[in-house]
Amino acid sequence: MNNRILTVSLIFVLLVPGLLVAHHSPSAIFDMKMRVPLKGSVTKVDWINPHIVVYMDVKGDDGKVENWKFESNPPRWFTKVGVTRADIAEAIGQTVTVEIVKAIDGSKYGYLQKITFENGNSIALGNASEKEEAKP
Amino acid sequence: MKPTLVTRTVMLTAAVLVVFLSVTLVYSQTSGKTRRTADGHPDLSGTWAFGIDLPPTGVTKVVDGQVIRSRVDQSARHAINNDVPGALPWTKAPSYKPEFQEKVKHLEANESKLDGVFYCGRPGVPRIGSPRKIVQLPNEMIFLYEDISGDPYRIIPMDGRKHNTKANPSYYGDAVGHWEKDILVVDTTNFVEDTWFGEDGYFHSGKLHVIERLWLTPDNNLVYQVTVDDPGVLTGPWTNFPHLIKPSTELLEESPPCKDDDGSRLLNLDHHLQR
Repeated sequence: MNNRILTVSLIFVLLVPGLLVAHHSPSAIFDMKMRVPLKGSVTKVDWINPHIVVYMDVKGDDGKVENWKFESNPPRWFTKVGVTRADIAEAIGQTVTVEIVKAIDGSKYGYLQKITFENGNSIALGNASEKEEAKP
Repeated sequence: MKPTLVTRTVMLTAAVLVVFLSVTLVYSQTSGKTRRTADGHPDLSGTWAFGIDLPPTGVTKVVDGQVIRSRVDQSARHAINNDVPGALPWTKAPSYKPEFQEKVKHLEANESKLDGVFYCGRPGVPRIGSPRKIVQLPNEMIFLYEDISGDPYRIIPMDGRKHNTKANPSYYGDAVGHWEKDILVVDTTNFVEDTWFGEDGYFHSGKLHVIERLWLTPDNNLVYQVTVDDPGVLTGPWTNFPHLIKPSTELLEESPPCKDDDGSRLLNLDHHLQR
């Protein structure tokens, strides 16, 4: 790399104002410290902005089915890390385990952190694995 | 039908020409020579890096026992720097008239509830940022964008015409462009009033006037710098910092529809920043 290219490389500045995640923080809705597992059947995946949305039927302690709704990161974010709708929609009709942070208001609403499919495959948002990676 | 000798010759010539043009383009992007169109202007056409501020995190997939980790590539994002060649002096924030300063503070503090782009609203200009793709024609520039509110485009006449004073106000306004030496200047007016020209509660009046400047560095990276004026609410024009943007090979992607119903769930005003 010649000096001129190096110089220009060093002076790159912040790019355009981003819009995709100009949005509320998850902590405005969810209890980010309370990560809980849920087992149920995925019924629908909406690949929409500003968050993807996953619907899941969960059998409650009393045997009644509860309809849960989870949001997660933006669709563009998933695309950027190599996850498409098809990867998540594979769960439709399956009994899967998810890890979520629950809405503070106690509703059947959560932020999807991880989904584990019937065959053991899984997709997880990166924060937890990054901490694991940081371990010696 | 077998190709004739003439057909083969034409095909071969075309293939050689394509290779030659490709090599020339790559060479011009790395040789320090500004790429130019036939009329002598810098050639801004092409696809430019995705500048959206995505969460700088990653994903971990387990597939058949194999762990695959990938992260959002933020390598095109760098800290603000004053040394961008050709950039105008800039300041951190616009200066509002005294009677509007409380309103700006209120909007900023309540951005997660009051900012239209949080709820799939159109960002308008200049908040849409620099174009993801530029199509440069002799008499007009075409800017293409990706945005959660839709994927807008702007057509900017370059034929010397004046603003259309009878045009309806719109989110992306009435734009006309011209060259000032090697800088493309896009002058836009006639906006609707329900956008902000920046996060932090930067509301505006119908007198908003936006000037975008775009030019190439010697290494054919795109520089984008915006000056905003609004005599209705500002004490004077405000120039934001320049953005230096890398070329991209990533095709534009159609944005999924935007549906947000989180507003009623918000228990505090925490929100992401855009930059």
